[in-house]
Amino acid sequence: MSVAPLLRKIFLVDLIKGLSVTFRSQHPDELITEQYPLERPWIAERYRGQPRMAVNPDTGESLCNGCGACALACPEKLITVTSDRDPVTKKKYMTSYTYDVSRCMFCGLCQESCPTDCIELSQDYEMALYSREGMTLDRVRLEKGPEPTEYAR
Amino acid sequence: MRPFLDYLHSSVTPGEYGSYLWAVIYILIIFAVASVAVMLMTWLERKILAHMQVRLGPMRVGPHGLLQPIADALKLLTKEDILPDEADKVVFWFAPVWVMMIAFLNYVVLPFGRTHAVTDMNIGILFVLGVSSLSVLGVIMAGWSSNSHYPLMGALRSSAQMVSYEVAMGLAIVSAVLMTSLNSTGTGTLSMIGIVEAQKAAGRWYIFSMFPLGLIAFLIFAIAMIAETNRAPFDLPEAESELVAGFHTEYSGFRWSLFFLAEYAAMIGISSVAVTLWLGGYLRPFPNLLSGHSWDLAFSLFPGLIFAGMALMCLIGAARMPKIPQMKVQTIGLWLFGGVIALIAVVLFLPGVRERVQDIFWFAAKVAAFMYLYIWYRGTFPRYRFDQLMKLGWKVLLPVSLAVLILTALVGIRQDLSTVLMGVLR
Repeated sequence: MSVAPLLRKIFLVDLIKGLSVTFRSQHPDELITEQYPLERPWIAERYRGQPRMAVNPDTGESLCNGCGACALACPEKLITVTSDRDPVTKKKYMTSYTYDVSRCMFCGLCQESCPTDCIELSQDYEMALYSREGMTLDRVRLEKGPEPTEYAR
Repeated sequence: MRPFLDYLHSSVTPGEYGSYLWAVIYILIIFAVASVAVMLMTWLERKILAHMQVRLGPMRVGPHGLLQPIADALKLLTKEDILPDEADKVVFWFAPVWVMMIAFLNYVVLPFGRTHAVTDMNIGILFVLGVSSLSVLGVIMAGWSSNSHYPLMGALRSSAQMVSYEVAMGLAIVSAVLMTSLNSTGTGTLSMIGIVEAQKAAGRWYIFSMFPLGLIAFLIFAIAMIAETNRAPFDLPEAESELVAGFHTEYSGFRWSLFFLAEYAAMIGISSVAVTLWLGGYLRPFPNLLSGHSWDLAFSLFPGLIFAGMALMCLIGAARMPKIPQMKVQTIGLWLFGGVIALIAVVLFLPGVRERVQDIFWFAAKVAAFMYLYIWYRGTFPRYRFDQLMKLGWKVLLPVSLAVLILTALVGIRQDLSTVLMGVLR
C-alpha cells in the first residue's frame, strides 16, 4: 500500500468529508420539503383540472348557449346538456348541465369545442372524494368553480 | 432536619455526606432529568436527521414539532402490549426491565459536578465498565425469549459486538486511568470525581495530555462507545433493513419504549464517561490558558447568558407569531416557555447558584456535543458489514489501544526509565 491512501485511511479523511457534506446540508436554505396544505405548489397555466363554467361577470348570466358541442366532443360522453328555445327571441338557451368528473380524463376537448369559451378546465386539483356520489357536478357547482380547501393548523 | 438542610452548605456528594435521603433525592432528580433528556433527544434526533436529509422533520405538534415526544410517548403507552404466544414469558417480561435498570445504574457514579453525583465510589470507572457490560445480558434475554428468528440473530450479533468492543474500550480507559497516576505521589485513582480532579490538578484535559496518546485513546473510546450502544454505523443488532428491529422486534408499546429509553439513557451515560475521562468532566474549558479570577467570573456567567439568549429567542419568536386565532394557543405557550427560561437565566445569575451550577452546565454542554455527534454519524455513515465490524474491533482498535496503553506507561515512567538506563550504562 502506498503512503497517501494509508494516511487517508488513518486520518479518516473520507469519513470527515462525508460528515462535512451532511453538516452543510443542514442549512435551512437546502430544505426542499413543501408543507402542502399550508403552502401550495405553483400550478402551470395550461394544467387541466376540475372543470368550471364561466359566467358573464357583468350580468351574472351563464355564457353557455346550450349548443351541446361539448357533449358531442366528449369522448367519454360525460356531459349532458339540455336546452330549450326561448319563445320570444327564438334563441336556444341551456336549461341544465351536468358534468361527470368520475371518469373524466381531462383531455380538454370540451374546452376546445366550446364556441363561447364557457366550459373550461381550471387549475384546481383537490377533487378527491370518499364516494362517487359527489362526482357529478351540476351547473351551480360548475359555475361556482373550484373551492380550494382552507386548512388550519 | 438540621443535618438534612446542612448538606446544602457542604461541598461533598450525598454519598460522602452519608445522607440516604439526599442520595434518594439526587437519584430522583437524575432519573427525571435523564428521562426528559431522552425525550428531547428523540426530538433532536428526528429534527437534525431530517435536516441532514434535506427534510423538515416533525413540524405539526407544537412549534417546530417540539411537543412531538409527548405525542410519541402517549402513543406508545396506549398501544397494545403484545406478548408472543411461544415466548418465554418471564424472561420476555424481564429483559426490558433489566436493560433499563443497567442503563440507569451507570448514573450512580457519574459526576455532574464536584458535589453533584449520587456518590463518589472509589472504584467508579470499574463500576461503570462492569455495569455497562451487563447490558448485553438483557439484549440476549430479549432476543432469546422472543422465540423468533430476527430477535435471535440480533441478539447474537449484539453479544459478539459488545463483547469484542468492550476489550478495546477497557484498554482505552486503562490508559486514561494510568494518566491520573502520573503525579508527584505516583498514585492514581479509579474514582470518577478523582479523575476529574486529577485533570484539574494537571491543568489540562486528558485528551490533550501526552499528545497524541490521549487523543488516540479518546478516539478509540469514541468509536467503541458507538458500537457499545448499538448506534449507527454499528447498529447491526437492530439493523432495520436486515433484521426488522433486531432484538426488540417482538416488543411493542410500553416494553418497546423501555428499550428505547434504555438505549438513549445508555448513550447519555457512556458519553458522560467519555467526557469525564478525557474532556475534563465538569471543568470549564481552558483551565490552564484562561485562568484567573476574572476569567472564572466570565465563564461562570456563561450558563446564564446562554439561557438569557434562548429566552430572548423564544420571546422574539412569540412576538413574531402570526396573529391568527389558530396560532393563539401556541403563541401563549411560547410566551410562557420564554418566560420560564428567562426565570431560569435570572436564577443562574445569582452568585450562590452560579458557583454551584456552572459545573453541571459545562458537563451537560459536553455531553450534548457527544449527542450531536451520535446523530451526525447516523446521518452520515452507512452501516458496517458484520465481518468489517469484527475486523475493525479486533484487528485495528485492540492493537492500537494496547500500543497506546504501553506507550502511555513508557512515557509516564520515562524519568525513572532513563535513570535506570543510565545506571545500567554506568
